[in-house]
Amino acid sequence: MKAIITGIKATMGIYESNEDQVYGLLAEFPDPGALVNAARATRDTGYRHFDTHSPFPVHGMDGAMGLGNSKVGFACLGGGLTGLAVGILLQWWTGAIDYPLNISGKPFFAYEPSIPVIFELTILFSALGAVAGMFALNGLPRPYNPLFYSERFSRVTDDAFFLHIAASDKLFDLEKTGQFLRDIGALYVEPIEDRGDAEE
Amino acid sequence: MSNSVKTNSLSLWILDPLRPTAQYAREAFRPDGKVMAWFIPAGIGVALLVVSGVGWATNAKQFYFSYLVGWAFCLSLALGSLFFVLIHHLTKAKWSIVVRRIPEALIWSFPLLAILTIPILFGMHDLFHWTHHEIYDPASPQYDPILAGKQGYLNTTFFIIRLVVYFTAWTFIAHRLYTVSLRQDVDDDVSAGARMRKVSAVGLVLTAVTTAFASYDILMSLDPHWFSTIFGVYFFAASFLTAHALIALIVITIQRNRGLRGVITKEHFHDLGKMMFGFTVFWAYIAFSQYMLIWYGNLPEETLWYRHRLEHGWEYHSAALLVAHFIIPFWVLLPRAAKRSIPVMSFMAVWFLIMNWFDFHWIAMPVLHGDHAGFHWLDFTCWLGLFGVFLAFVMYRLGRHSLVPQNDPHLGKSLNFTNI
Repeated sequence: MKAIITGIKATMGIYESNEDQVYGLLAEFPDPGALVNAARATRDTGYRHFDTHSPFPVHGMDGAMGLGNSKVGFACLGGGLTGLAVGILLQWWTGAIDYPLNISGKPFFAYEPSIPVIFELTILFSALGAVAGMFALNGLPRPYNPLFYSERFSRVTDDAFFLHIAASDKLFDLEKTGQFLRDIGALYVEPIEDRGDAEE
Repeated sequence: MSNSVKTNSLSLWILDPLRPTAQYAREAFRPDGKVMAWFIPAGIGVALLVVSGVGWATNAKQFYFSYLVGWAFCLSLALGSLFFVLIHHLTKAKWSIVVRRIPEALIWSFPLLAILTIPILFGMHDLFHWTHHEIYDPASPQYDPILAGKQGYLNTTFFIIRLVVYFTAWTFIAHRLYTVSLRQDVDDDVSAGARMRKVSAVGLVLTAVTTAFASYDILMSLDPHWFSTIFGVYFFAASFLTAHALIALIVITIQRNRGLRGVITKEHFHDLGKMMFGFTVFWAYIAFSQYMLIWYGNLPEETLWYRHRLEHGWEYHSAALLVAHFIIPFWVLLPRAAKRSIPVMSFMAVWFLIMNWFDFHWIAMPVLHGDHAGFHWLDFTCWLGLFGVFLAFVMYRLGRHSLVPQNDPHLGKSLNFTNI
């Protein structure tokens, strides 16, 4: 059970640090192209617990990281179907059960005038489902991330491109993985420790 | 160089206003020039129209209604394509440049469609109840005070004047867009984009207004008591949807014959699929908006139109329209994989073309057969005959020029387009 939860959290980019409190290795790359190539090399070597960080969306990164198609659509569909059901229930229950009101001889419940309400609720719930699904799949909100211990990492919102391989990966080895990152063109490789003293 | 593309002789002008430019096309964009591409639809189309002529001799009224539905179907394809070209110029759309030549070939159908109006003009007395003189005569037992009040708009002279205005406007806009784009293939004129945008700005307004009124005249006035201001939007939604279906289908046909492979990719089909999905929803939205307001308003002169379509078997047509024009396509085209699958896209393209005809049949035929729903064999021969001839002209034009606007400055972006 714990393994399953760890696995799910890893898909969201939330990784466990190992027994030495090593969270992983952070490598900086000079430009988006190098980052895409590095991500592809990392994936091809067999690493699975890794993530990339850049100031803006990088075209082709999903493919390079082997992420596949986004699953937000299913969350959106689920939200939409929920909204549809809620809409029908609301219109039927308020109109025909709880407070039947005769308006110019129209039926208490009919699909014709109810569809706008059902439609709007479907759209509302789809949108909420999409946003909630996006947050969940990204593991957001995430106020604490061990990567924030790195001084250099603060530049990720400005002009720096990072690749992070987590210590929880099966292939992770502090020496070998560090050498691997330098081999694929990292400017700088830094081990990240999950010290747990972020409040300082 | 700019004068190297000569205008065609006047007799061939309705086929194509320009002489062939295919010899200037780059290897990858060159049409294969096979005669069969237009010969087969032309042969089938003419044969079916000859068969329909026999139907005209035996049952003229049925022929006129079937012909009108088939003709409106072809018109909706040309108008939908015109909207496609106009909107994509105005929004400076880049993804669609590689497919733009196909709607450009489609919009030069207006001269042909104008000629094909002639049988409708002969059948006006059978088609349009408002052409009958006795309904305007107060002494006559058929006197109809409501239609008498509409006589200022619904009369034969003004109807023909309006048709002439519509076709002149459409032909003019189409001529500008078609010739400027094709000349750019040869003379590499960088100002072509700006000129086509200018035409589109005026053209979109003009096309929107004329399309709405054309739909009132051609389809809505079949039941002259009825009126719906949203009907023009309904016609637009059907046209725009079906134009995307036909564009996708023509691209698939060309690719099956080894043309444009690697030029138009799954990414472009994905976008065409998104537009088809979006506009089947839009069509349903508009169709429902029309129905709901009439249901809620409950005014006798408006509800009668739906009443005719909800009895004597037409209720099955109405239900089929809801299920097959909206619910089924919605679920089929919803997944990303479906829009990127050529077999699914070609199936849905044919599906939408059939549904568009079914939709117009549903609008027009209860006027003729209010007491029993169904199809007459002339419905099929007229529709497919006209569509065959229409398609033959389009395929003939496509075979004469580069299949892609090869000198568009943004062509590279369109070739390398990917969906995120």
